[in-house]
Amino acid sequence: MKIKLSILTLLLFCSTLAFAQVKFVATVDRTTVGAGEIFEINFSINANGERFAPPTFTGFQVVGGPNVSNSVSMINGVTTASMGYGYALVANKEGDFTIGPASIVSGGRTYSSAPIKIKVVKGSGSNNQGSGQQQQQQRGSEPDERNMQRGRVKDISKALFLKTSVDKSTVYLGQQIMMNLRLYTRVPIVNGEPEKIPDLNSFYSQEIKNNNPNAQWRTEILNGVRYNVTDIKKTILFPEHEGDITIEPAIMNFVIRQQAASSSGDPFDAFFGGYEDVKYRIKGTPVVIHVKPLPMAGKPADFTGAVGKFNIAASLDKNDIKANDAINYQLKVSGSGNLKLLKPISPSFPPDFEKYDPKVTDTITENENGASGSRRYTYLLIPRHQGDYTIDPIKFSYFNPATGKYVTLTTRAFPVKVAKGTGDNSNVTAFSGAGKQDVKVLSNDIRYIKTGSELNEVGSDFYDSGLYYFLLILGPLGFAGALVYGKWRDKNNADVVGTKSRKAGRVAAKHLAIAKQRLAANDIKAFYEDLFRGLYGYLSDKLNIPYADLNREKIADELKARSLDESLINEMLDTLDMCEMARYAPVSGISGQQVFDKAQTMINNIESKI
Amino acid sequence: MLKRIIYLFMIVAMPLLAFGDASLNAQVKKGNEQYAKGQYKEAITTYQKIVDDGHMSALVYFNLGNAYFKNNDVPSALLYYEKAHKLSPGDKDINFNIQFANQKTTDKVEAPVEFFITRWWHSFILRFSLTTLAVISILLMITGFALLVVYRFTNSVGIKKASFYSALLIIFLGLGSMFTADRQQQYFDGHHGAIIFSNSVNVKSAPNPMAKNLFLIHDGTKVEVMDNNNGWMRVKLANGSEGWINASDAKEI
Repeated sequence: MKIKLSILTLLLFCSTLAFAQVKFVATVDRTTVGAGEIFEINFSINANGERFAPPTFTGFQVVGGPNVSNSVSMINGVTTASMGYGYALVANKEGDFTIGPASIVSGGRTYSSAPIKIKVVKGSGSNNQGSGQQQQQQRGSEPDERNMQRGRVKDISKALFLKTSVDKSTVYLGQQIMMNLRLYTRVPIVNGEPEKIPDLNSFYSQEIKNNNPNAQWRTEILNGVRYNVTDIKKTILFPEHEGDITIEPAIMNFVIRQQAASSSGDPFDAFFGGYEDVKYRIKGTPVVIHVKPLPMAGKPADFTGAVGKFNIAASLDKNDIKANDAINYQLKVSGSGNLKLLKPISPSFPPDFEKYDPKVTDTITENENGASGSRRYTYLLIPRHQGDYTIDPIKFSYFNPATGKYVTLTTRAFPVKVAKGTGDNSNVTAFSGAGKQDVKVLSNDIRYIKTGSELNEVGSDFYDSGLYYFLLILGPLGFAGALVYGKWRDKNNADVVGTKSRKAGRVAAKHLAIAKQRLAANDIKAFYEDLFRGLYGYLSDKLNIPYADLNREKIADELKARSLDESLINEMLDTLDMCEMARYAPVSGISGQQVFDKAQTMINNIESKI
Repeated sequence: MLKRIIYLFMIVAMPLLAFGDASLNAQVKKGNEQYAKGQYKEAITTYQKIVDDGHMSALVYFNLGNAYFKNNDVPSALLYYEKAHKLSPGDKDINFNIQFANQKTTDKVEAPVEFFITRWWHSFILRFSLTTLAVISILLMITGFALLVVYRFTNSVGIKKASFYSALLIIFLGLGSMFTADRQQQYFDGHHGAIIFSNSVNVKSAPNPMAKNLFLIHDGTKVEVMDNNNGWMRVKLANGSEGWINASDAKEI
C-alpha cells in the first residue's frame, strides 16, 4: 500500500518535468560472448523518447525483447525520466560483429547511439542442437523471469509444452539412446504433476538419477523464443527388439498462473494480484525410434549381444600355487554401451578347477553421454590337482554401432602351475575326496602285507591250459576204459559152461590117456576105473552137472535134451555100464583096446555134436 | 587202482605248487623286511623287480600295492591290488585294501546297487581263485569217475550203492566247480579293468583329441576297458558313463 501511494504521488508530479541534457547510449553486458550465448544490449535515454528504431542486429538473433522500461524520478524538484529498450541477443556465428546505431527522437531531436563491437568466440559446449534451437548453459534452480511472457497468454500450448527428445532416432538393436523428456514453459507454473509417463516396454531403460530434488531450470531458445526449460526425466534406452518403436507421449497436469481476464492490460493489476490459477493438461509428442537389426554379416559365433564400444582386460592374482589354494581371475569389461545387459561371460577354465559363480561388480555411470563404465567379473578358482594348466584366452565380441562392424577382443592366456597341495600329503585320516567321509574314521589303515615268505606262485594261466583239459578228461576217459575192460572181461567170463565144455574134451583125453597107460600095462581093472572116471568127468564138465549129482538117468536126460542120437546115448550108457561092471568082474567078448577106441569115438562124436 | 589215482593227483598238483626257488623267496622276504621298517621306496623296488621278472603272485602284488599306497601313490597301489584281486578274488585283505585305497581317490563313482542275487552270485564265483577252482574241479572229476569205476567192479551190493551215489554227487560238484571257474573267467573277461594314472583325464566322445569332453576323471579311478583302438581306449565307469581316453592315461589291470 505504501508503494502504491508513493507511485501515485510520483505520477502526480510528472507534469513538472524539466529536461536536462539528453543522452542516448547503447550498452552491452559484455563485449565478448560465446557463440550461442545470450547476452543483453540496452539502449537507454535519460529523457522521454519516441520513435525508437532499433539497429539491424546483423549476425545476431533477437531472442528476447524489446523490453521497454520507463522511469521517472523526482528529486528535490528535479524530475528525471529515462527510458530503456533491452534486447536479448544470441550470436550465431563466431567472428567480430558490429551492432549498428539505434536512433530515437526526443524533444524533436534525433539521437543515435554509438555502434558497439561484439566479439563472438567459440561457444562453450552443447549448443546448436537441432534447428534454430539454442541453449543457454546458465542454469538456475529458478525459472528465469525474463523468459516469462507478459500479459495474458493467448495460446497456452505454445507457451507450455512437453517435448520428448532422443539423440538418435535410427539405431541398431541394443544401441543406447538418450531420451529426454523436457518441459518448455513461458508461463509461471504453480504446480505440476505427471499423469502419464511413457512406459518403455520395448526397451531396457536406465533412468539417469538426478540428485537435486528441485527442478533445474535453464533457458533455451526454440525457434527464436526463449523458454524456461527443465528436464523431467532423462532415460537411457536400449531397444530390445527390432522395428519401429513408438514412445508414447507423456501427459502432465499443470496449474499455471496467468493474469486475470478482467484486467485488460492494466499494469497495476500485476501489482495488485490480478491473476488467476488455471489448470492445464498438456500432452507431449510421440517419438518413433527405428530399430535396425544387427547385421548378420561377420557376426562372430560367440557374440552375445553387446553393443557399444568396449575393452576387455583379464588378470590373475597368482599363477604359481598349491592345489586347493584359491586364485582370483578377474575379467574387466569397460566402455560404453549396454554393459548392464551383458550376458555372463563364462571363460573355459581347466575342468579340474573348481569354479564358483563370479562376483560381478558394476561401476557404471549414466549421464547425458549414455551409460559407460566397467563391469568386473571376479572368478574364484580352486585347482584341486597338481599339474600345469592354462587358462585359455577369452574372446569377447561386441558390435560397434558407430562403425557398424563387429569387434572381437581377446584376452591373454595365463599359465597356472599347481604344485601338490598340502592336503594330499597328510596321513590316512585326511580324505581329499570332498563329501566322501560319511563315516568319521579317525584312524584306519590298509591291511598289513602278507608276510608268508613262501611264494606260492600260482600259474594263473593253468585254468585254460591244455593240461587242465587233459586232466579233466582223464576221469571220464579212465571210466570209459574201465567200462570197456569190464565188458571184455565179462564177455570172456560170462559163459562158464561153455568154458567147461570146451575144456571137457581135453579133460576126457587126459583121463583116457591115463587109461591108455593102464591098458598098455595090462592093468585091466585100473584101466576100466580110469576110463569110467574119465568119461564121468568129461560128461560132468560137458553137461555142467556137478560130479556128485551125476548118475545114469541124469546123463541120459541131459544128452537127450541136447538132442543127441538115441544110439549114441545108448552106446554111451552101455559103455558106462560095462566100465562099472568090469571094475568088479572081468569083461568078455570085447578087448580093452576095443572099449578104449569106442570111448574115444563117442567123445569125439559128442564133441562134434555139442 | 588206488596207486593210479595217487599218481594222477601228483601230476595235477606238481605244476601248480611250483615253489619258487630260494632266491625268489629271499627277495620277497627282503621286501617284507623293508616294508616293515617303513622303507617303502626300497620295498617297491624289491617287489617290482619280482613282478618285472614275470612272477605272478597275489602275495607279491598285494605287498607291492601296499608299499605304493604307503608311498602315497594311490593309482599304482590300486593297480596292483586289482591284479592281486584277479589272482585271488576271495582274499578279504585284498578286497579291504582296494576299498580303502578307493576312498583316497578323487572321483566318487556311484556304482548302481546290484540286485542282491547278483551280488551273492559274484561273491560266490569270486570266492576262490581260478586255479584253485581248476584243481578242485579236476580232483572232483577224477574222484567221481574213480568211484564209478569202483561201482562197476565191486561185487558187494553195499559198496556198489554207496559208490554210485557218491560218484554222482562228486561229479555234479565237479561240474559245478568247472562252471564256476568258467563264470569267473567270463567275469574277468567282461570286467577288463584299467586304472587311471594321469592327474586328470578328459573323457572324450570320440577317439580324437578334438572331440567333445564328456566328463572328467582323475587318477586312481577304475574304469572298464571296452575297446582298444589306435592308442585310444574306450572306457566305461561303474556308473555307466562311457567315453574315450588316451591309452597312455590308464594302465590295464
